[in-house]
Amino acid sequence: MKPLGVAVEALSLAIGTFRLKQIEFSVSAGEVLVVLGPNGSGKSVMLETIAGFHRPDSGRIFIGGRDVTLLPPEHRRVGFVVQSFGLFPHLTVAANIAIARRRPAGPSRADPADGPFPVGDVAALMKHFEIANLADRLPNALSPGEKQRAALARALAAQPALFLFDEPFSVLDAPTRDHLRGELSRFLRGFAIPAVFVTHDYTDAMTLADRIAILRNGELVQIGTAAEVSRAPATSFVAGYIGYENILAGEVINADVGRATVAVGDKAILVTTPNPLLSSRRHVRLCIRADDVHLRFNAQEDREQSLYTNRFRGKIVGLRAIGPVVTIDVDCGFIVRACILGRDAQTMTPMMGDLVSLEFRADRIHVAGE
Amino acid sequence: MWREKSNRPRSWIAPSFPLTVHVVSWVLGAILLAFVALPLIGLATTQSKTTLAEAAMMPDVRGAIALSLEGALLSALLAAMFGVPLGYVLARSAFPGKNLIGALIDIPLAVPHTVAGIALLIVFGRRGILGGPADQFLGLRFWGTIAGIVVAMLFVSAPYTVNAARLGFEAVDPRLEKVARTLGMGPWRAFLRVTLPLSWRSILTGLTLTYARSVSEFAAVVVLVYYPMTAPVQIYEMFLRYGLDQAAAPALLLLLVTLALFALLRAFAYGRPPRGEQR
Repeated sequence: MKPLGVAVEALSLAIGTFRLKQIEFSVSAGEVLVVLGPNGSGKSVMLETIAGFHRPDSGRIFIGGRDVTLLPPEHRRVGFVVQSFGLFPHLTVAANIAIARRRPAGPSRADPADGPFPVGDVAALMKHFEIANLADRLPNALSPGEKQRAALARALAAQPALFLFDEPFSVLDAPTRDHLRGELSRFLRGFAIPAVFVTHDYTDAMTLADRIAILRNGELVQIGTAAEVSRAPATSFVAGYIGYENILAGEVINADVGRATVAVGDKAILVTTPNPLLSSRRHVRLCIRADDVHLRFNAQEDREQSLYTNRFRGKIVGLRAIGPVVTIDVDCGFIVRACILGRDAQTMTPMMGDLVSLEFRADRIHVAGE
Repeated sequence: MWREKSNRPRSWIAPSFPLTVHVVSWVLGAILLAFVALPLIGLATTQSKTTLAEAAMMPDVRGAIALSLEGALLSALLAAMFGVPLGYVLARSAFPGKNLIGALIDIPLAVPHTVAGIALLIVFGRRGILGGPADQFLGLRFWGTIAGIVVAMLFVSAPYTVNAARLGFEAVDPRLEKVARTLGMGPWRAFLRVTLPLSWRSILTGLTLTYARSVSEFAAVVVLVYYPMTAPVQIYEMFLRYGLDQAAAPALLLLLVTLALFALLRAFAYGRPPRGEQR
């Protein structure tokens, strides 16, 4: 018997030319797994398969300790929150919640793992989500935040053993998104119900996730905590997707224990992060965060000499101020993006065409496959 | 349809075009409006209350109007029974040949209705491939009966229901149906509690059009079944036998009856705006 979480085992499915390939993960009670992937990567299909709308070709799905692989959606005990929250527009908030009141019939009846709210207590749900005053409103008259709370209340009313979120924020503007992420995160922490949240938005993933799974072309490329994935992306695709600013294609020239030299263009870059790829492959990708690249605008400036620092000179070819950060692209045979704080930019006054020195430490380079 | 009031003051003039375009459009449009309205007004003004009452007392005329309304009702019911499911399938599934089926549905709208009547006669007539066996085994005759009238009406008017239902179902976000399923509803329950309440106005519009088209159908009915006479056939017959003066009164009567029915149906479909609805 599985614990009261969710487990997906070797799930495969073909729809037309699209395939989900051997999807495998588990989510424990109270944990949030964010599945991150571009459009067309199969996020929604995966979610809908877990919810019961597609029959998998192989593999098994466990929800709340039951094998639900062959059950229809209405017997799976999943709470499904879709884009724009999917409230029924012809029903008031109270009716939207009451329509879900009935406990799904089937083998789940004997299951003691009920949610925190008594079955059928619409009033208690509305009170908890602070929407009691909206009971008689139709969904069109609600703000996005109110919609989200009503949708969560409705999903909870059906006593779910799993929450599924299919890009609920994708049509909202940035400030609203930010606000709703915070609210959702707070509510989810309050229940011991596992959640799978699907999105193409990196910020969604970083703010909501206990763990992140990256999906590409129907395949899970990497799964791990947010810190793990951002520190050590498994492939250059993952690195790019989670926002690594610099991904340099290079060729391994020599690889000793603990240090390697990689040629990028006509330059050699020293890498001291241990990675088996360095000895097994010739072509690798070097991933460097923009904030690990240091710029020196004054050539005479006294430098600390370090054997383990890569240092190049180049010309500024790009400047962009985004919020409190200024990104600077430097052409030193290859383009490297660095960033400085806007307040520092006021004293350093970088200009297009300026010659600068840039440095990045050999142990701050992550090596990924292609 | 009822809409939430917009905050923006509405202008008589769409902001994208200059005034002259509006003036020209109004003048041209007014000519067409007059063209449609004048004959109806003409028909209404030639008749007095007494001639109308006389026509209403004629058993032939009353019988014909009743038969038209009855046949159209049956035709609309059959369209609802068979056309709405087809609309759902066309809205919700993708399959090879879907466009072909969509085109086939629309053919009766394009075919001259005398042609439709002749085609129906070949199938539903005495020696038709359906008409013969139906008579022989079921005792169901399509000539000289209301069954034939309904067949002719349904053929020319079913497309309205299928198309309107399809549009109505297409406008319902499939994700809502999925959410309904996860909330514990089986497929039928989800359809009845979510899909149908969100699409019934569109379906009813389609049925209204089917009903209207059925009442007004002349050619297909007259080719397949001359007797018993529906109202349009009866009016044509009176026009041929007695001339314009005798035919005008029952014509106006039919016009008034159908207009009253549509007012009723529209009031039913759009009369009560639910609170806060905005579509």
